Amino acid sequence: MAKVGDRVRVESKDGVHEGTVLPSPENQKNLLMLKLNSGYNIGIKLDKSVKIKVLGTGTKAEPLPTIIQKENKSLPSISLIATGGTIGSRVDYKTGAVQTLMKPQEFIANVPELAQIVNLKKISRPFAVWSENMSHVEWQKIAQEVAKELNAGAEGVIVTHGTDMLHYTAAALSFMLKNLSKPVALVGGQRSSDRGSFDGALNLICAANYCKSEIAEVSLIMHGEDADTYCLAMRGTKVRKLHTSRRDAFRPVNEMPFAKIWKNNFELLNSNYKKRTNEKVVADTKFEPRVALVKFFPGQSPDIIDYYISKKYKGLVIEASGLGHVPIDTKDKKLGWLPKIKKAIDSGMLVCFAPQTLYGGLNQFVYAPARQLHDAGVLYLGDMLPETALVKLGWVLAHAKKPVEAKQLMLANLVGELNPRIPEEAFLY
Amino acid sequence: MALDYKQIGLKCGLEIHQQLATKKLFCDDPSALRNDKPDFTITRELRPMAGETGQIDIAAVFEKKKRKFYIYEGYKDTTCLVELDEEPPHQINQDALEITLTVARILHCKFPDTVQVMRKTVVDGSNTSAFQRTALIAFDGFIETSFGRVGIQTVCLEEDSGRRITEDQDSVTYRLDRLGIPLIEIATAPDIHTPEQARECAEKLGMLLRSTGKVMRGIGTIRQDLNVSIAGHPRVEIKGVQDLRNMPQIVEKEIERQQVAISSGEKLLPHVRNVKEDLSTKFLRPMPGAARMYPETDHPLIVLDEKHIAGLKLPESFEDKEKRFLKLGLSADLAKQITRDEKVILFETFAKQFANTNANVIASTLLSVENEVKRKLGKEIILTDKQFEGVFHLLNKNKLTKESLLDVFVKVAEGISADDAAKSFEKLSDTDLKKEIEKIKAELKNVPPDKLQGIIIGKLRGRAEPSKIIEALKWQK
Repeated sequence: MAKVGDRVRVESKDGVHEGTVLPSPENQKNLLMLKLNSGYNIGIKLDKSVKIKVLGTGTKAEPLPTIIQKENKSLPSISLIATGGTIGSRVDYKTGAVQTLMKPQEFIANVPELAQIVNLKKISRPFAVWSENMSHVEWQKIAQEVAKELNAGAEGVIVTHGTDMLHYTAAALSFMLKNLSKPVALVGGQRSSDRGSFDGALNLICAANYCKSEIAEVSLIMHGEDADTYCLAMRGTKVRKLHTSRRDAFRPVNEMPFAKIWKNNFELLNSNYKKRTNEKVVADTKFEPRVALVKFFPGQSPDIIDYYISKKYKGLVIEASGLGHVPIDTKDKKLGWLPKIKKAIDSGMLVCFAPQTLYGGLNQFVYAPARQLHDAGVLYLGDMLPETALVKLGWVLAHAKKPVEAKQLMLANLVGELNPRIPEEAFLY
Repeated sequence: MALDYKQIGLKCGLEIHQQLATKKLFCDDPSALRNDKPDFTITRELRPMAGETGQIDIAAVFEKKKRKFYIYEGYKDTTCLVELDEEPPHQINQDALEITLTVARILHCKFPDTVQVMRKTVVDGSNTSAFQRTALIAFDGFIETSFGRVGIQTVCLEEDSGRRITEDQDSVTYRLDRLGIPLIEIATAPDIHTPEQARECAEKLGMLLRSTGKVMRGIGTIRQDLNVSIAGHPRVEIKGVQDLRNMPQIVEKEIERQQVAISSGEKLLPHVRNVKEDLSTKFLRPMPGAARMYPETDHPLIVLDEKHIAGLKLPESFEDKEKRFLKLGLSADLAKQITRDEKVILFETFAKQFANTNANVIASTLLSVENEVKRKLGKEIILTDKQFEGVFHLLNKNKLTKESLLDVFVKVAEGISADDAAKSFEKLSDTDLKKEIEKIKAELKNVPPDKLQGIIIGKLRGRAEPSKIIEALKWQK
């Protein structure tokens, strides 16, 4: 029987074909996938009439070129931490359609411009995980690695990451990196690094430029528009993926980006940032995982809260409607949320509201239901993004000694997650 | 003296690319080329990638050296995120797939059980994704020519590239209207052994594609590449063969060039050439490397159903179509010509739509009026389906005479609407004819009466039949 990688000659009712055996699709083991000499792949159903002759064995994926790390002391030294995602993935053309995770040295080889901007003193990959498979455990590991690099002399750190859940990690690092004194750039790619249209190249170049800046904040650096012109540096707690596939999927919400960054240019748009210092960075990563995010929708039963009470959750963020509402005076009493919310608070759970509109802030004083919810003990989190609120809640609950302290911390602006003022120009920026 | 093609070991193969008249292959945009001002442009960079074999494709590096960035032009209503490489491809267009399967069946091809859409690396910037999506749909077929059978190696379905608009030192501008239009690519075996056979084979393939009734028409909608080699010379691919009538001459000139190249003793490499105006060719780029394809992981495998393919309705044969056209009253000559012309679909539509008009007039106009207008205006013109329709509509309503057709089409080709163009050629009612004659007579007081009739007929050409004018003049006397 021919194995993956074998060169074979296949005779079937569809004629005679020579090529290399590729892996069969997961759910179709009786399909022989063949890469023909022309480069095309076809599938041949394996039935009794098919004759396979092995002509040669062991075609392997050829190694990719990797960058040779040369120290260039005249440039600022930075570190790069790779964690997985599209930015470091490729299709292996010889062994089939599987997306594999590349070594960082391999995908950075496609961006030779980096060597002219910074001295990449260390490249590491603590793990390779798609972003949707991550949890607070990975956030903690990344925070520790970043702190280690910065304290070891890096002028800045680039973290490459899958884009789907990148804004959660961005928020997590914002809270976990205490006394952050240097730029930390989170970077992803919406097109994989084996494509000529790899968008991560510009993102990496602009991230390197960001690492040379004075902005000692956790920022997400991705395309500013769908052209390969400039990137935006967006605060880690005020950014969200707002498109499934565009290069400029990440947008700042309720706040202007820190900067527009080109390959050879840098324009500051928002000077509300912490300046670079020599302070020692502390990875303060304690996290309470029993927190959840619930999106309210019309007609939704509040019974869902019972589940979280029964599972002993410590905190809940509810994506509330409008200025911060869930139903209270409903015809069908079972659809009123106030009793269940009171029950959750009585059980010791911290219940917070964040805006499901994403843009704008909550206000508990405009409509009567919100006043009742607020009086019952719901924390109104202003213009905090729901995802940021969830991450903050987990971090706060692991740090506050008493419930009252947890409440105070949730309502305080720790790392720019709450905006005292929302600029007009920040909407749909 | 004629060359002995057998002795020099002439081998030719054809690669035909035909655009299909469906929506785009991987999105819901229409397959329409546009000449109005684009609504937006975006700038992109493409980089050569150590993609699949760990080696960057040599053709890719060659292109990369030339340009820094690419500018893409798009339209709000006909360019979507797929063409912009901002969204994964949608499911392959089913109509385009059906047409391809039909063509492959006429070519006696075999089909794989499962088709995989591939990415073929292109780094000249003509595709925003830096690859062209292509799928091998069928293989191992043949087509008969009067010189013998020519094998069909492959039938592929692929997306067309962006349209090159301008370029300067730093950038190339492409329009995205063409990007993603479905193309059938038919590659023959190198079984063609004379220049005339190349022409015949290309013509037959073109006719066969048109017989499906679902292909685009006009310049650029079908493109032929020629592979030519003689003994001692590696394969040369010639791009940009526009007019099939020139094919034999292009092959002759390439044979001559290859003979000179062989005698020069230089190391010869396979490469790609472009046809020049004098039908000789110039070097375009090295032959792309073979390992340029990897799977389009964003598209599922396509399972081909044997029964479905066997049950596909094949298009009417040329013979049957000709017979049907004869019944419409077409002359034998016109029936034969229009059957094999790309405007056959238009003819069928108009013959039905304008039943009041002689089918011979419709057919002969479709076949020749563009060339006649071109001669008058001294430039290449293409009339759109709508333009034809507009003029035939007036003809059918008896508002035009067939004598004025050419003059009306000249105006239409210059951008005037059919209605406006026809105004000066509108058929005169009997009363208006008399009035016009009086008017001309008054203007031409000094012209001798014996010459008057000829002048009036000339002046009113197209607006009244000569016999009517003569009659009217008689009456006025």
